[in-house]
Amino acid sequence: MKDFEALKDIWHNQITLPKVSEEDVLIKLRKTKNGFANKLMMELMGIFLAIAVLMYVWISSPFKMWTTHLAMLIIIGCCFYYLYVQLKDYFRIKDDTLLNKPKDYIDYLKKYKSDRYKFNTRKYNIYTLFLSLGFLLYFVEIAFLVPVWVAAIGLIFTLSWILFCFFFLMKRYIRKEESRLEDMIANLERLEKQFKTEIN
Amino acid sequence: MLNKEVLFKEIFQANSKKIYHLCYGYTGSDDSANDLMQETFLKVWQNLEKFRNQAMISTWIYRIAVNTCLSYLRVEKRQGKEELTNQIMDNKSEEVSEKPEQVETLYKCISHLEENERIIITMVLDELPYAEIAQISGITEGNLRVKIHRIKQKLTELYNKYERF
Repeated sequence: MKDFEALKDIWHNQITLPKVSEEDVLIKLRKTKNGFANKLMMELMGIFLAIAVLMYVWISSPFKMWTTHLAMLIIIGCCFYYLYVQLKDYFRIKDDTLLNKPKDYIDYLKKYKSDRYKFNTRKYNIYTLFLSLGFLLYFVEIAFLVPVWVAAIGLIFTLSWILFCFFFLMKRYIRKEESRLEDMIANLERLEKQFKTEIN
Repeated sequence: MLNKEVLFKEIFQANSKKIYHLCYGYTGSDDSANDLMQETFLKVWQNLEKFRNQAMISTWIYRIAVNTCLSYLRVEKRQGKEELTNQIMDNKSEEVSEKPEQVETLYKCISHLEENERIIITMVLDELPYAEIAQISGITEGNLRVKIHRIKQKLTELYNKYERF
């Protein structure tokens, strides 16, 4: 029979040592930092390029109908919205919530997950709606400028792609994310109970 | 930058072993413990400026480590991996030759505790002051004392049970 002091002696006699040195951490830090910064930079450059092209088309093309101007405004607005979400998430990742008390940290994770869910569902629906509306309005003037069948093919192709993303890709993504979320929230709730201050 | 690196190295050398123990006690795996420890110190580096005015730097490092461990569990479960306890048992059998039997049994017993109990007991075993453990785990010192008393009993019973068989 051993008492707790004996267990403590066993613990202190262990010779297991970490295999990671401070140099390894610094090397990993440089790699991670560059990797993340590059990825973010690529995404931001992509969206800036899209906005620049749209602006160029808008300014250089002699659009006559108000529907086209509204369409350009809506599509560019969607791009800016995407840019805003990217930047907001970037700053949220940088947030130092890791210094919070474990219970507060768990609450933060729960809030983050629920916000992600809202973004993937409600906000994505609104985003898709506006993007589709933008393209529909854009094709109104195009239909007067090019043969109707060309405009029709363009419109069908664009809307099919949006619908494919909405009904297939996004639904599949949401399903995966939802089941992942349910697991995570169940685990978080269990942990939250453990970290409650009351002693039963 | 150079000063920051010097300071970081000092912090790493002073705390890495205990943080590794915490991660090992929590995950029961040497590889996972090394990964978690590395992740913890990456976050320490990123937050080093905020630490400079803190008297108890180890408290903050422990808190980062605890939160990193909690996030780690999320990922493990999300990926549909087996239950952590089973994983710990497997890891133990793989590493059986590397550790003395008693240490082996002790880690096995820790793996049977709840997540927050694992975190608390590794800090107790590493002889952190109760006030510091209370601050890290975000519970009052009074509650912590009761909790620690229960965990000690639980762990001792588990250990003696394992040793008999």
